[in-house]
Amino acid sequence: MQTVETDVIVVGAGGAGLRAAIAAAERAPQMRIALVSKVLPMRSHTVAAEGGAAGVTRREDSFDAHFNDTVSGGDWLCDQDVVDFFVRRCTGELEQLERWGCPWSRQADGHVNTRFFGGMSVQRTWFAADRSGFHMLHTLFQTSLKYPSIRRFDEYFCTELLAEDGAVRGVLCICIATGELVLLQAPSIVLATGGAGRVFRQNTNAGTVTGDGMGLAFRAGAALRDMEFVQWHPTCLPGTGILMTEACRGEGAILVNKDGYRYLQDYGLGPVDPWPRAKAMELGPRDRLSQAFWHERRKGRTLDTPGGPAVHLDLRHLGAKKIHERLPLITEAAKTFAGVDAVKEPIPVCPAVHYTMGGVATNVDCKAGLSGLYAAGECASVGIHGANRLGSNSLVEIVVFGRVAGESAAEHAGSASRKGISGAHLQSAERRVLEMLSNDRGEKLATLRDEMRDAMEDGVGIYRDDAGLRAACAKLASLRERHRAGVRLDDRSRAFNTEWLGAIELGFMLEVAQAMAHGALERRESRGAHRRLDFEPRDDAGFLRHTLARHAGEGAPRIDFRPVTITKSAPRERHYGGEGKKAVLT
Amino acid sequence: MTRTIRIECLRYHPETDAEPRLQAYEVPFTDDMSVLQGLQYIKDHLDGSLTFRWSCRMAICGSCGQMVNGVPRLGCETFLREFWPGTVRVEPLEHFPIVRDLAIDQSDFLAKLESVKPYLVQKAPPAGENTNLQAPEEMQAYYRYSKCINYLLCYAACPQYGLNPAFTGPAALTLLHRYNADSRDAGRAQRMPVVNQEDGVWGCTLVGYCSEVCPKDVDPARAVNQNKVNSTLDYFKHFLFPRAKEKS
Amino acid sequence: MAGWWKRHPYYLWYMLREASCVFITAYALILLWGLRRLAQGEGPFEDWLESLGTPGSLAFHALALPVVLYHAWTWFKVMPKTLPDTRLPAAAIVAGGVAASAACSAALLVAVWWFGLWSVP
Repeated sequence: MQTVETDVIVVGAGGAGLRAAIAAAERAPQMRIALVSKVLPMRSHTVAAEGGAAGVTRREDSFDAHFNDTVSGGDWLCDQDVVDFFVRRCTGELEQLERWGCPWSRQADGHVNTRFFGGMSVQRTWFAADRSGFHMLHTLFQTSLKYPSIRRFDEYFCTELLAEDGAVRGVLCICIATGELVLLQAPSIVLATGGAGRVFRQNTNAGTVTGDGMGLAFRAGAALRDMEFVQWHPTCLPGTGILMTEACRGEGAILVNKDGYRYLQDYGLGPVDPWPRAKAMELGPRDRLSQAFWHERRKGRTLDTPGGPAVHLDLRHLGAKKIHERLPLITEAAKTFAGVDAVKEPIPVCPAVHYTMGGVATNVDCKAGLSGLYAAGECASVGIHGANRLGSNSLVEIVVFGRVAGESAAEHAGSASRKGISGAHLQSAERRVLEMLSNDRGEKLATLRDEMRDAMEDGVGIYRDDAGLRAACAKLASLRERHRAGVRLDDRSRAFNTEWLGAIELGFMLEVAQAMAHGALERRESRGAHRRLDFEPRDDAGFLRHTLARHAGEGAPRIDFRPVTITKSAPRERHYGGEGKKAVLT
Repeated sequence: MTRTIRIECLRYHPETDAEPRLQAYEVPFTDDMSVLQGLQYIKDHLDGSLTFRWSCRMAICGSCGQMVNGVPRLGCETFLREFWPGTVRVEPLEHFPIVRDLAIDQSDFLAKLESVKPYLVQKAPPAGENTNLQAPEEMQAYYRYSKCINYLLCYAACPQYGLNPAFTGPAALTLLHRYNADSRDAGRAQRMPVVNQEDGVWGCTLVGYCSEVCPKDVDPARAVNQNKVNSTLDYFKHFLFPRAKEKS
Repeated sequence: MAGWWKRHPYYLWYMLREASCVFITAYALILLWGLRRLAQGEGPFEDWLESLGTPGSLAFHALALPVVLYHAWTWFKVMPKTLPDTRLPAAAIVAGGVAASAACSAALLVAVWWFGLWSVP
C-alpha cells in the first residue's frame, strides 16, 4: 500500500477545508499539508450556498448585537464564549476574502454592501449576488494554488480515521480513479467534510453531503454533539428540495398560503406592518418559519403541487431589475427546475432539510476529543449555532473556524510526537473496506438508503414525538444490521467504483442518523429546531444542556449531557415580530 | 405521467475494456426528470456499475457535464422530455481522456488553471480601509468572467483543444482575463507571457462554440479574443521599448 | 479528430467561414490584376474588363458574392468577441457593424454610379 508521510491532513476541500489548509500553510510554511477530498475542491457543497455571510460592518451594528441575535436565534444552546470569539472574527475573515479577490457586491461608493437575513437585527450579511458560496469557494480554491506546501489529493475518499492511544495517526483513503488504497500519516488531522443532510429524503444538499467526517470521528471515538438539531430551510422547491435562498426574503420577498394570506402573522412573527422590519414576519428565523409551514399544512392552507404541499414565495413586487441583479441564480433555478418566472409568478416552496447544527464536538480551538484531531465547518459543533443556526452564520463560520482549525493543527503538528499506525490496526481497516467490495450477498444499496431516508422523514421530522422517534430508532438499528450483513454491489471492480463508495457513505449516514434520532429521543423538550409534540415547552432546568452521542460499537449510540457555557446572556423567551421600525433596504 | 425513454450510455472500464461501447437502458421518466436523474435511476435500479460524476444537481457545482446527443451539456438541467420519443445518447465530454464510463480525467484542465495564476496579486487597500474599494462599474469589467463554474463544456466544444491539447483553452484563459480585468489586481505582467504564447490566446481561431454551449453566460470566446488585442499591444510595446520596465 | 468539423453544424459553418477566405483572396487578386492592367494602358485594361464577362468569370462572381456576404456577416457576428467589454449588448454591435457595412457599400455603389454617368462620353 502506498504510504504518504505528511504534517497536516485536511479532509474535505470545501470552504472550511481550504481555509484550514491556507491557514496551516501561512502559519508554518515548512509544513507539508495534504488536502484530501472525494471531489474536486470546486465541486464541494459550499458552492451551493447562496445568500451570504454575516459580519458586523455597519455603523449602527455591534458585536453585541450579532452575539445577541446568534444566541437568541440558537435558543440559548450556544456556547457564549465561543459566540463571542466568533462575532469578533467574522468581519476580518470576510475582509480577507475580499483581499483575495472575492467579488462581494458593492455599494455605489465602492464599499461592500450588506443585506438583511432572517433573525438578524441589522443588515449584516455580506453577499456576492446570490452566488456567495460559489464565489467564496472559488476564491479560496484559486488562492490555495499560491501555496506550494498544499498537496491536493483530489478524488480521494477517506474510509477510516486511524487513531491509537487517544491520538490520531492518519487516514486510510481510496484513490477513486484507481481504487487503490493509500495511507496518509500525520500527527494532525482537520475534518472539514460538511454536513449530513442526505440522511433525509427532501433536502437542499448535494449528493456528497453524507456525514463522512462525522462518521469517521464518531467511530474513532470522538463525540457528536447536539445531533438532534437539524435545520429545515423554509423555502425550497417541492420534490427536489432545491434551495430558494433566504436572501429573497432579505431583499423583501413575502410568503403567502394558498389564500394569498401572509400566514406568518399567525405564528408569533407579526404584525405585518411596518414592513419590512428586522426579525419579523419573513425575516424571522428558519426554525419558526418551517414550523409555521407545518401548521399551515395541518390546517389545509397549503397548495398542492406535484412535488408535495407548498406555499408561495412572492418576489414580484421587487421588480425585474432588482431580482436579476440581486437574485440571478435562484431566478434561473426557479425557471429551470420549477418552470416559474419569478418576475411574473410566485414560486411554490416548502421546507427541506438544509443544515446539521450538530457535529463533531470541539472547543473554541476546533480541537475534538482525540489528540491531534480538529474539526471545522458544518461537520463540527464548535458551539455557535445552538438549537437553530441563523442564516449567513455558517458561511462565515467556515472561514473563521477553518482558519482556527488550520492554525491549531499546524501548531500541534510542530510539537507532537510522530507515531506510525500499528500493522494489525491498519490491516483490519483495510480488510473492512475491501470486504464490502467482495460481497455478493445482501440487499441493494438504493433499498437501504431509501428506507433510511423515509425513516428519518417519518420519525425525525420538523415535529417529533416519542412513538415516532422510537420507531425511527428501531428502524435505523435494523438498517444498520442489514447494512452489516452486506450490501450487494453490481460493481466489484476497483477503478472509479462509485457504488462501493456509496455503500461506505451509507454506513456513515446510518450511524449519524442514529445519533440524530437517539439525541432527539432523549431531549424531552422543545428548543429551536427540535420540536417535541409530547414535550412542548422549552425546559431549561432539565435540558439547557448539550447532548453528546458516543459510539457504542454495533449498538445504539450512548447519549450523555454536557453543560452549556453561559457568560452574559441569561436564557429568556425568544422574541420575534412585535413592534419595530420600518427598515430601509439598501 | 410516466413514459419510457431509451438512454444509451457510453461504457468503458479501464480494467476490462479495450474500447468504449454503448449500452442502452429503458428508463421510466416523468416530465420533471433530468438526464442526471435518468442516470441515477439506472444506477439505483438497473445497473449499479454505471459510473458518472454528480453532486449539487442544481447547475452550480460543475460535476455533471456530458455530451448529450453530441452536444456538451449539463446532465442536471437537461430534461429527458426534450428527447422523447427519441433516444438520449450520453457520452463523456469530448477531448478528455476517459477514466471510466462518463467520468473524464480533468487533470489537464487543473494544470492549466494553475498556470494562469488565478488569484489576486494584491495591491494594498487604500489608507484607512481594510478592503479595496471597487465601484459597481469596475466590477462589471470582470464579473461575468468570474461566473465560470469549470464545467469544462467549453473544452469539449473547442476543436482547437481537441486538435492541440497544449492549448490553454477557454475556461483557463477566461479566468486569466477575470483577474487581469480586476481593478484590485497587480499581476497582469506575470500573466501576459501565458497570454502571448502560441498555446495562449493565439491557439484560438474563434470558432465561438465555447460561448454557445456555456450554461452560465460567461462568454469565454470574448475573454480570449479581446486578449489577442492585448497580446498584440504587448508585443509592440516590447518591440518599441525593449527595456521598458514592466508596469502592471 | 479526423473529420471533426462534420460532427456538428456549428463547426461546419465555421469551416465555411474559414473557407470563404479563399474566395475573398481570389477576388482581391482579380481586382489587383485589374489595377495592374490599368497601369499598363487602355488596351490591357479593356482586355481585363472583357475577361470579366466570360462565362467562367461570371460563374466565379456569382458564387463569390454570396460567399463574401456570408463572410462579412460572420465577421460582424464575431466582432463583439474581439472588443473590450462595453455596456453595448453584443446584438447591437453586430447590427451596427452590418448596418455600417451596408451603408458603406450603398455609398460606394452610388458614387460609382455617379462617376460612371459622369465619365461616359
